[in-house]
Amino acid sequence: MTNSRTILICSGKGGVGKTTLTANLGIALAGQGARTVVLDADFGLRNLDLLLGLENRIVYTAQEVLAETCRLDQALVKHKQEPNLALLPAGNPRMLEWLKPEDMQTIAGMLSERFDYVLIDCPAGIEDGFKNAVAAAKEAIVITTPEVSAVRDADRVIGLLNTHGVSPVQLVLNRVRPKMMANQDMLAVDDVTDILALPLLGLVLEDEQVIVSTNRGEPLTLNGSASPAAKAYGNIASRLQGEDIPLMDPAKERRGIRARVRRLMQTKIF
Amino acid sequence: MTAEPSPSVPDCLQLPAFRSISWQQWLPAQLASLPGRTIDLDTGDWSLSCRELDELLTALHAAGHDVHVVTTRCRNTLISATALGLTARLATHDHPAGEASADQQKRPESIAGLTVHRGTLRSGDHIETRGHLLIVGDVNPGGSASADGDVYVWGRLRGRAHAGRQGNGNAKIVALQLRPLQLRIAELVARGPDERPQPGLAEQACILDGAIAIEPASPPFAAQQP
Repeated sequence: MTNSRTILICSGKGGVGKTTLTANLGIALAGQGARTVVLDADFGLRNLDLLLGLENRIVYTAQEVLAETCRLDQALVKHKQEPNLALLPAGNPRMLEWLKPEDMQTIAGMLSERFDYVLIDCPAGIEDGFKNAVAAAKEAIVITTPEVSAVRDADRVIGLLNTHGVSPVQLVLNRVRPKMMANQDMLAVDDVTDILALPLLGLVLEDEQVIVSTNRGEPLTLNGSASPAAKAYGNIASRLQGEDIPLMDPAKERRGIRARVRRLMQTKIF
Repeated sequence: MTAEPSPSVPDCLQLPAFRSISWQQWLPAQLASLPGRTIDLDTGDWSLSCRELDELLTALHAAGHDVHVVTTRCRNTLISATALGLTARLATHDHPAGEASADQQKRPESIAGLTVHRGTLRSGDHIETRGHLLIVGDVNPGGSASADGDVYVWGRLRGRAHAGRQGNGNAKIVALQLRPLQLRIAELVARGPDERPQPGLAEQACILDGAIAIEPASPPFAAQQP
């Protein structure tokens, strides 16, 4: 496909929400009608299949595709509720020993012939796993949280993406807590964009529903949940498709009492 | 210079001036004339991505040579080299690496030229020059800039900076916004100030009474001729 987009989702630091963003963005893009595939490049610690609830459906992996012991469409796992979304699972961790950047390019090339969006879930760190993943990507989304260590690592990764010629690179700020930001207990949005100097693709509020959805293997964007994080992921997908949706303002989000009550009602207590 | 056909000084591998051939073709013939195990690599004007440089290093390593320092005139190569964890130096156009060092041996106080770097130094990036260094862009936390002469940052300095690397106590560090993690001038080290600087005021750090002090930048802060 000529206008297929191959997007790397990376952060440098671990645990900031790469895999969660990949899963939710994949579902959201597929829900908007785009043929989407998510590729797990985290061979050492794979869990994108877990988040999508597809762990038990995996027969073949990227490893068999590369070894040509199966066809690509045999390895692709179609999502049960969202037929526009497919997953190409990571092979076993020992793949790391022989996988080369060219192999990732081969896989990404095959996928981009069939899909509008190829989302690559990058491993944490900047070692071989990152180098392999970045070789296959044309553009990137850097995700970070408003913490000094995460911002520092994101900055390092952005520098590396630039030297690898990946462009455009956009930013998603995850786990934003408006109240803490207002009290200056947390880095403000401006502080982060000031250092990283990237266009902001979206802000995602801290949301307990993310944990619930992760454990269930049902991404938030799947069931049209009205939780703030689900809305944010949907908006990110729309912006990626070129729609002009204004960014959420954390200060306003804090004030809405009605929003807070609604959030309280969504929290599944029972 | 000896009558050797290769312009490289001993222990230094210099890539050809023009990128007319690929180094894969060029390298085997050069390996025979390389003496040392640890060598310096001068990439000249070659723009090498992280991966290209890594391939070159791997080929050299396979032939029994470890690269110690990379000298380059290209910013991309400089960043690739630092990303790979090597010591990298940026040579200015009129002073290729070899000549500059010869120059310095003759006149130890002399500082050769001004290197201009355009773009932001991000975390992990490191730039090191002989002479003065001007960065048009920010130095982010985790990035560092060092020079034998002065360091000027036309932007925000939030990382580390080292001026007068070879011991020049008159060197200074100037930035439009001086919020460094650490400053070094010659052998002195100072932590950055804890409070935020006044907005819109360029500041400079220099040695006053044996300690690094920060003061408003004096207007004619252009490099003084040695």
